Amino acid sequence: MAMKTLTAEQKKALATLRERLGGISEEKRQAQRHLVAARKSIQKFLQAQQATVPQLAQALGMPADEALWHVTGMRKYGKVTEVGEEDDYPLYALVEIDDKPAAGH
Amino acid sequence: MNTQIDSSFTPDALVVGGGIAGLQSALDLADQGLKVLVVERQASIGGHMIALSKVFPTLDCASCITTPKMSAAAHHENITILTSTEVEAIESAGGVHHVKLLQKPTYVNFDKCIGCRLCEYACDTEYPDPFEEGLGAVKAIAVPFTNAIPQKAVLNAEHCSTCGTCARVCPTDAIEFDQQPRRLTIATDAVIVASGFKLNSITVKPQYNAQRSQDIISPLTLERLLAPHGPYGRVLRPSDGKIPGSIAFVQCAGSRDESIGVPYCSRVCCMYSIKQAMLLSGALPLADITIYYMDIRAFGKGYEQFFQNAKAMGINFVRGKVARIDPLDGGDLSLHVENTEEAENPIAERRHDLVVLAQGMIPGWNPAAATPVACAADGFVATTSLTAPTATVAPGIFVAGTAAGPKDIVDTIAEAGAAAMQASQYLFQKRAEALVG
Repeated sequence: MAMKTLTAEQKKALATLRERLGGISEEKRQAQRHLVAARKSIQKFLQAQQATVPQLAQALGMPADEALWHVTGMRKYGKVTEVGEEDDYPLYALVEIDDKPAAGH
Repeated sequence: MNTQIDSSFTPDALVVGGGIAGLQSALDLADQGLKVLVVERQASIGGHMIALSKVFPTLDCASCITTPKMSAAAHHENITILTSTEVEAIESAGGVHHVKLLQKPTYVNFDKCIGCRLCEYACDTEYPDPFEEGLGAVKAIAVPFTNAIPQKAVLNAEHCSTCGTCARVCPTDAIEFDQQPRRLTIATDAVIVASGFKLNSITVKPQYNAQRSQDIISPLTLERLLAPHGPYGRVLRPSDGKIPGSIAFVQCAGSRDESIGVPYCSRVCCMYSIKQAMLLSGALPLADITIYYMDIRAFGKGYEQFFQNAKAMGINFVRGKVARIDPLDGGDLSLHVENTEEAENPIAERRHDLVVLAQGMIPGWNPAAATPVACAADGFVATTSLTAPTATVAPGIFVAGTAAGPKDIVDTIAEAGAAAMQASQYLFQKRAEALVG
């Protein structure tokens, strides 16, 4: 994905919005850090094996509902897929993304 | 779709609400050559109906009915739609209604946004998706849902980390961090209030303990679970992702109950629960499905047959009021119920792993606070007489759909057409009187 550099006007507008929102609260920062860490840990675990939500939750020490929410988000944005069922639970696996350019390109 | 207007815009009629009632009214007025402004507080039109899986009694796909209406309204030359906009007040004088609007910032220039969703994919902040009743995740900048209209990204400032990535990846420079709330007043001759409904809180009856279990869910949550493009892609228990094997529906869990201030019948719960039970039986063929009810109100065309079909499919109907629900260790839910058809041991304890509470419809908006419209004792918009069911106490202001009281989709669409007809009759009569002088 091509990333542009923000113009001076955009930077100024962003700073104004940040100020209007009262800055980025510590609570918001913590929530973001938690989201990134949880996603990374789920990704790492699923790289090694397929798992159900309770298996993920137990292995990563997070509540099952939270593990389900993360898996749901990862599934929506194409990072996780359902590959089967185990003991009344869907089994999830990481989607393998082929970063190599296709032949001929 | 025209989304940029100012106070010089004077539509013949203004419709409050872009759900199925508002869209039907707008289309019926616009087809008569009248200019209509639709004001919707959400980021997309479509209302509750666009989030439903299927409709009763035909089991037609809800979005297959709603999306063409949304699209027809959005592309109609006589209809202008403002999303993310709320009505703050209506002041009526001399037969003209001055509607005060608050347009909330979306931080995206809709004229530039092409709906490519590159900003959404690049954003690294997610929060519980309101469209999925909190079950799914959505990015801080996103197109509200797959078939949203307009197909434009909207930034949720509350969850935005202000990292600026969306602006860096936007190919059309559509992100505008400096957008401000905008107030405008629109003068119009007629208004149709189609502000819809909401469901009362799932925790309104403490004895059902919904606050203690994520597996006691609302019917709208189940609609999303049943939708083919729902959060999980299938029906799962929200607490741990288990495929439920035993599901209960508790009827009249938020209506016909004076203790919670909703003494009236919500009119749609019996039918949507039967529909959901039938859909569940298709999605989960091995699951036990039980509907606990006081009486089944299947009054519409084809509804009784629909009820009989559900019984023939093996849905279990138990006539009895659920007194209490207790979450148990391990995730199951214990229902204490009196089965009035069981003579010897009517009091029973039944266990299920997912429970749906049939919550009651309550008004989505209270117009009485800031408009000339009056509300009845139940909180819904008051109408003037049985022979003018869409007329409010304010001349030139009409009401359609669930803003006037609980009703199903069929009745809502019929009433929306009636409101449009009464409004156009009012407008044409007013024009004729002006010509005569």
